[in-house]
Amino acid sequence: MTPLHVAATGALVLLGIGLYGLLALRNLIKVIIALQIMVKGVVLALVAAGSISGQINLGQSLAVTLIVADTIVAVVGLALAVQVRRRFGSLDVQELSTLRG
Amino acid sequence: MNPAVPVSLIIVPLAASPLPYLIGRLPRRIFLTPRWIALAALAVVWVVFALMMRDYVAPVTLQFEAVAFQVDGLSLLLAALALALGTLAVIYSGPYMAGQTGEEKYYALLLVLTGAMIGLACAADLFNLWVWFEAMVICTYLLVAFYRQRPTSLEAGVKYLVQSAVGSVLVVLGIALVLAQTGTLDLAAIRQATGDATLMPVAGALFLIGFGVKLAIVPLHTWLPDAYAESPSGISAVLSGVVTKAGLVALLRVAAALAGITLSWGVLLMAFGTLNILVGNLLALRQTQIKRLLAYSSMSQIGYMLLGLGIGIYTGESSGIQGGLFHALNHGLMKGLAFFAVGAVLYALGRLSGGEHTLGIGDLRGTARRYPLIGLALTLALLSLGGVPPLAGFMSKWQIFAAGVGTGTGWIDALVIFAALNSVLSLAYYLPVINMLFQDSSSTAGQTARCLPVAIVLPVVLLAVAMLVVGLWPGALMWLTQPATSALMAAFGGL
Repeated sequence: MTPLHVAATGALVLLGIGLYGLLALRNLIKVIIALQIMVKGVVLALVAAGSISGQINLGQSLAVTLIVADTIVAVVGLALAVQVRRRFGSLDVQELSTLRG
Repeated sequence: MNPAVPVSLIIVPLAASPLPYLIGRLPRRIFLTPRWIALAALAVVWVVFALMMRDYVAPVTLQFEAVAFQVDGLSLLLAALALALGTLAVIYSGPYMAGQTGEEKYYALLLVLTGAMIGLACAADLFNLWVWFEAMVICTYLLVAFYRQRPTSLEAGVKYLVQSAVGSVLVVLGIALVLAQTGTLDLAAIRQATGDATLMPVAGALFLIGFGVKLAIVPLHTWLPDAYAESPSGISAVLSGVVTKAGLVALLRVAAALAGITLSWGVLLMAFGTLNILVGNLLALRQTQIKRLLAYSSMSQIGYMLLGLGIGIYTGESSGIQGGLFHALNHGLMKGLAFFAVGAVLYALGRLSGGEHTLGIGDLRGTARRYPLIGLALTLALLSLGGVPPLAGFMSKWQIFAAGVGTGTGWIDALVIFAALNSVLSLAYYLPVINMLFQDSSSTAGQTARCLPVAIVLPVVLLAVAMLVVGLWPGALMWLTQPATSALMAAFGGL
């Protein structure tokens, strides 16, 4: 098993964990953590892809850019979570189902 | 063309975006309000855009290390739409957003949103495209959840954020697969890449899902009605009018890059288009809130665009592609107009903040009597969305249908007939709204309504006039759709 296989497997496992968490968890902060785990899997995949194609610099710079962009999403998501806790009195995503139809 | 021109088209709105925020945070109010700063910045962008249109002859490519930009017809089309609706939304939001908490952030975000969409339009490599896409999407998260004291708005924001963020993750995964397979991210180079392509269909599917969230293709549409209905009306207009088109352009660029090696995009787009038309119409039929109704109608209109583009890509004829792009532009005008007009009624009823902020169809009763201009504009927008001749929406739908029938293929004919029947079906939810507008008696809410300021009426009138002109003289937008069509044809390799 080469390091690349390890990286690819790791990326898939992280994606799977993240996706499961996204579907199964009900706490909004945990949902955002699950999202973060998915992104970490993709970061790994980008670095591995750069290494496979011989473009190590490109892959790594993309990974760094992704981390920046993803942090902003996490910050916005957590800011929304704070407001949700304030207005709904709970972080349960099941409560967020007043809009229908 | 001087490379400074396209670069400043992207840089100016981004560089100017902190100014409205900083001015708005000043302890003492000065003459310059955040809105005027934003308008001034957009005026500069308009000048740059005019310079670029004047000098535009052929696509221009700019390369900064690994980052590539390309200004072609498709970029100009999206940039024009983004600028037009962005400017109108800034004008419109003056009275609409006056006194809201965080007003200064609103204009700053709107500027970044406009700049990011222009950047997305000009991106010529895959990662660059994603960065602009993400920048655009992050701005819209904040704008959708702008009324943060309102629980429903937060709910819409959370739903939108989670779905879009997953979509973005899948897009980056697709980018990683493309990078691993081809070793390049330049869209033109990916097209020419040869060799092993086993992962490319997977990447194509990931892109379709990822950008499809923004396009609201059918199983991924659930965020759309909430986000459109809960955001400020100016933002609903921009979201529906341009942001979905930005998703469409991103998808088309990527699809073109993968056209040679993966899936049959034409058939896929036609299939999703037809599904969107049907589901959007059926869901719109049972809406009682006008903004949600318009949101679902956006879904079905996106279906028409996809159908036109799919027909064009499948057959290699330019007429279908041109019809799809023409419909995208028209939809920007029509839906912008509809959301602005509905927002004007919300403003008149004083339902901008506080508990009651929705507008049921019943609340529109007799609006045309009290506000003839708004009533007329909304009527025109709805009839045009329903495809009534001789309005703009009819012209572009007609072009799509004509392109479909022109192929002479049986099943495409069937799709076109289905889409045309759906266009009639859509009148079933537009006409009751129009009927309500022209009722004799006013709703109780309508009797206490206040006067509308010029800044709210002006964008509505401008868009209504533009829509009428396009309807009576469909060639008026040819200068945008023609280069965009040839750019897309060239991107798909002449097919």
